[in-house]
Amino acid sequence: MADSIAEVQKAKKLYMFIGLLLFFFTIVTVAVATMESLDFGEHGFDKVDAIIGLTIAAFKASLVMIIFMHLNHEKPLVYFFYILGLVMAFFCIALIGWSKSDPIRYGSPNAGDGFYNPDKPATKSVH
Amino acid sequence: MEIPFIVNVRKDTGLFNSKVGIWLFLASEVTLFGGLFSGYLFLRLYADYPWPERALPVLPGLINTFVLIGSSVTVVFAWAALKMREWRKFQVYMSITLVCALLFMFLKGIEYNAKLGHQAVRIDGGGPVQGFEIVEGHVHYAELDEEGQIHEVSKKRKDEDGVFSANKIAFKASELTFVLTRPTHEAYVDEILKQAGDTHTITLNESYRVINEDELYEGKLNRSELLESENALVAQAGARLSTDVLDDLEDAYLDARSHDRKVRTKFLAASWDWIRDEKGIDEAATYVVEKEVWKERREEDTEKLKIVTLGPTAVVTFTIDPPLTLILEPSDLVKFTEDELRLRDDTVAKGALVPSPIIMGVDALDFRHTAQRAEAEELDPFPVIEQTWLLTHEGHHDHGDEGGGHDVDHRNEFKRIWDCHMAWLKAETVRLEKKGRVPSKNDKFRVNWDQIIAYRDVNPEVEYDKEMVYEYARDPEDGLVLYSSGLFDLKGFAGADHSEFEFPHLEIPREKVGFESTFTPRWSTYYAIYFTITGLHGLHVIGGALVLGYYLFFGRKMYDSNPEWLANRVEIGGLFWHFVDLVWIFLFPILYLM
Repeated sequence: MADSIAEVQKAKKLYMFIGLLLFFFTIVTVAVATMESLDFGEHGFDKVDAIIGLTIAAFKASLVMIIFMHLNHEKPLVYFFYILGLVMAFFCIALIGWSKSDPIRYGSPNAGDGFYNPDKPATKSVH
Repeated sequence: MEIPFIVNVRKDTGLFNSKVGIWLFLASEVTLFGGLFSGYLFLRLYADYPWPERALPVLPGLINTFVLIGSSVTVVFAWAALKMREWRKFQVYMSITLVCALLFMFLKGIEYNAKLGHQAVRIDGGGPVQGFEIVEGHVHYAELDEEGQIHEVSKKRKDEDGVFSANKIAFKASELTFVLTRPTHEAYVDEILKQAGDTHTITLNESYRVINEDELYEGKLNRSELLESENALVAQAGARLSTDVLDDLEDAYLDARSHDRKVRTKFLAASWDWIRDEKGIDEAATYVVEKEVWKERREEDTEKLKIVTLGPTAVVTFTIDPPLTLILEPSDLVKFTEDELRLRDDTVAKGALVPSPIIMGVDALDFRHTAQRAEAEELDPFPVIEQTWLLTHEGHHDHGDEGGGHDVDHRNEFKRIWDCHMAWLKAETVRLEKKGRVPSKNDKFRVNWDQIIAYRDVNPEVEYDKEMVYEYARDPEDGLVLYSSGLFDLKGFAGADHSEFEFPHLEIPREKVGFESTFTPRWSTYYAIYFTITGLHGLHVIGGALVLGYYLFFGRKMYDSNPEWLANRVEIGGLFWHFVDLVWIFLFPILYLM
């Protein structure tokens, strides 16, 4: 992290550059999502668009963390906390994978009315 | 007491203590939002209805993204200014950060307001796949006409007496029955009395009497005499309805019921003692369940109880003279039929239901759910959609305002819009085929507000000519030119602007309403997770702004005495602020663009 006045002064230029870079990539994200000529994959929103959008978001988030949050200059303990948080967040998201193995909820041909089964829509709306 | 290691770093960690604290806190925040994102993914991946893609207007979200990124830059500049001991610059940068926070919340407020005022209705009409066609729009305003029928007066809000949003249940009530076991009447009673005004009287049908406990124990066992006693009278027949009267009735009822419960418990205990003494503890339980001897004993008790309990009546009935047409929120009702209506507190109104349609300007048709259900039943979705109530109902004929107003036939307006959409889809399919693509389900089965405006412009006066629309819609480069497809068109800043455009008018008879709600968590899991995540994020913005504002307005003293300490504090607050920005960096594409 910049501690001396000269280093801080120098870092300000970097912060400004990163801010502009974040603006730019925000525009890229919107352009990819809304302009037909930049619509990859199938027409309209699909998995490819999701992957592109989230990749750009992850890149922008990395810039914020590395530069604005000074992760490029931090001590090991901070990395430990940071990785701990990431692992926990990924664990939360990975929990979704387990839901597939729930026999009464997902994909079971024996699931009766009242239990969600995408292959067998409920006879009445549950909207 | 001096707090250690708030300016200088500890040797073992290499950090000052508050930085250890904030990073530990941020790790927990990452987990919290990770869990919420996980919830979002779970709801989206396993939704059994078409997930609303790009349902939010992009421009407010985009501006908010710029605002938060900008504030992230200014907050780090504010920290740098403190490091360089430039108090004035610190004030400027931090002030900009706070203005950004305010602007963010202001735009979020506009967005929330648009959602909370936007109506959606799932129509339970007809056709092979029933109950999944959805219309969205804004509810118009109505009043009761001289014949007591709901009559539309305006599409814009009117704060006048007797004008209400046209999504209410009107019921001509001649009698009200209150249940005294539930002390929740007050709001409903106040509303009913307000609507009755001075022109209707609501009076108690029969005097409400409860046997006086003291008189009962004095040995007067003739119940009819006891009921006629002066002390038994709680409210005289003809008493006007008020919350005070109902409170008195409820108190009298609850006191008497409490007395009766005690007496019954005593009798039950005595019966139990008796059977236990007769049969012994081991067999007593069996006797209680099965044997006649116990039942006989209980029947005897019941006869005795009739004498020694007060037996209050749990309901009271009031007559409304002349009958009053009540205007009630659908959400306040448990159920309603042609001649009876039940409020959530079990109050029952008898009378006659007045036709209570939802009257709205429609800014989107959504047949995606219908199509999904049709495909699940291996049906071609397009003929199924053609048979829905929305496209087959006769509509209404509006003779316009008095004094030579317009005279518009709304018949088949939605059919015409759908036909236009089919023509556009045909042209769009040809256009996309040249690029090796096909229209998405959104393209096929959903008609957005800008499309409705465009379709209405096609041929508003005369019989719709499909080929003409096809020609109109076929543009070799861009397809149909929509009125407001531009990202920066402020007319659609927060969605369809009903003050700017004339949207097609729809009256949905109440019996055709399958489900209705504004865009709140009640409508779908999408809005549940949207409000949860963005609401929590908004609270973080407010919390962060309060902390940064404290440094700005109360930091001068610390700056004078120990500027490095203040710089460290601002760095900590800034780390939190960057995290708030970081969460939004993911929220924006997920909620606004996907």
